[in-house]
Amino acid sequence: MSKESFEQSLSELETIVSKLEDETVPLEEALKLFERGIKLARKLKAQLSAVERRVEQLLAEAEEGEEPPTAPFAVEGEGD
Amino acid sequence: MKVFQVSELIAAINGQLSAFGEVWVRGELSGVKVAASGHRYFTLKDGEGQLACAMWASRADRLRFKLTDGLAVLVRGTLEVYPQRGSLQLIVQEVVPEGLGELQLAFQQLKAKLEAEGLFALERKRPMPELPQRIGLVTSPHGAAVRDVLKVLSRWPHLSVLLYPVRVQGKGAEGEIARAIRYLGKLGRLDVILVVRGGGSLEDLWAFNEEVVARAIAASPIPVISGVGHEVDFTIADFAADIRAATPTQAAELVVAQLERQARRVEEAFRHLHLAWQRSFVRWQNRLALLAGSRGLALFPARLRQARAAVERARLLPQLLRGLVMRRQRELQHAGARLFSWPVRFGAARRRQLVAGQEAMLRERLKALVFRRRLELSGKLRALEALSPKAVLKRGYSITTRDGDPRPLRRATEVAAGERLVTVLAEGLVRSLVVGRQTSRQEPLFSPGEDEA
Repeated sequence: MSKESFEQSLSELETIVSKLEDETVPLEEALKLFERGIKLARKLKAQLSAVERRVEQLLAEAEEGEEPPTAPFAVEGEGD
Repeated sequence: MKVFQVSELIAAINGQLSAFGEVWVRGELSGVKVAASGHRYFTLKDGEGQLACAMWASRADRLRFKLTDGLAVLVRGTLEVYPQRGSLQLIVQEVVPEGLGELQLAFQQLKAKLEAEGLFALERKRPMPELPQRIGLVTSPHGAAVRDVLKVLSRWPHLSVLLYPVRVQGKGAEGEIARAIRYLGKLGRLDVILVVRGGGSLEDLWAFNEEVVARAIAASPIPVISGVGHEVDFTIADFAADIRAATPTQAAELVVAQLERQARRVEEAFRHLHLAWQRSFVRWQNRLALLAGSRGLALFPARLRQARAAVERARLLPQLLRGLVMRRQRELQHAGARLFSWPVRFGAARRRQLVAGQEAMLRERLKALVFRRRLELSGKLRALEALSPKAVLKRGYSITTRDGDPRPLRRATEVAAGERLVTVLAEGLVRSLVVGRQTSRQEPLFSPGEDEA
């Protein structure tokens, strides 16, 4: 599920939809297209919500390849 | 009269010159040289005269603009005779450009320099990422800018923000900003960097007009969006950024707008996919109904019914799956809620692990189920295709009827010479006239038949 492919997957899905809308597609192919489309749509939706909401502040830099220490960040004067 | 030694005389003159104290001199720069030591040497001149000037590195390095030939300036310094050459020179403490302010001049000089290097070229600009979900934020943790940005970003539930807190004004701020941009860029897990600061005077915004910041932005491996000051403020950072937003708020809005746009596209495509699917099934159902209705072609009514049922099930498949997914999701939420109500000693990580495990298991089960359904369905569809009259016709058979009578002909005795017939082939149909008939098949099937006469 690489991020680079989001646009590619989305264009493929859009192409599938326009193919399915073409009346001459045989049933067997329509089924294949639909299944592929469902798979793509699920993947895209998963990608859209793959990131958890989080606001963090960097506390210090870390060595390359290591995760830097962070702390949750909230704007001063506001709750939590 | 007193006779001086040369150096003695120069010392005496310098003594007199120091009485002059500091002077301000107006003129034009020419012959500007930077020595290896960093000291600057130049000549200050007007129409009639010229004055040699020296500015020590310690002073010159504090200049915000570059000394260039032809620049009209005011210079403050003290006069002295340089003993080794016996020439008069002005030791410069300060240079102030005339006309433009010092900052405007520095801005224009740096802008022209970086522009000439191609740092602002349009070809260098990268577009907004496809999914800007992981945001690096370079700004002060205090003040309005960070609040504005986070407020807008909170409109989208699925994005994370990593704030690299920096000072955005004052001595050394530019170094912190540049360092932050470089660090976040090489972190490798962000999609885009926002470099923002609220409004202020030109002096306040100055850090964003420094070369180090522009270079850090241009070198960033991921796109940088700048939002500095108000709409009217343009900084060097804005020119170097991939995308320039007018304000911090707008920088955040561009990110959210992109995510919303992508989500809308996915929703639209998903909706149309279902609509198109429903429509193609209605089409197939109609075709089946047509075939069932025409007596001649209703070859296997029982199997046809089965096939129709298969089509119906296929039509309902998306709903079935959706229902299933929803049920599983509910179960999962339930399980999640239970897990979270467990004693705290389990720890968040452990709980997350448990939920993730459950989720993976459910997903596997669901996948297996979907796979089985698909297998069943594709078997049914193959059967359906095989019994389609079209498939029969494709194998080379044809159906012949009298013109105007849909019942297929089975015996030669059903027709008389001179009657018009219609023959349906796999593709198209043939109209023909009966020229003769033969009541029994004595001739080989595919040799040209003789008329009975």
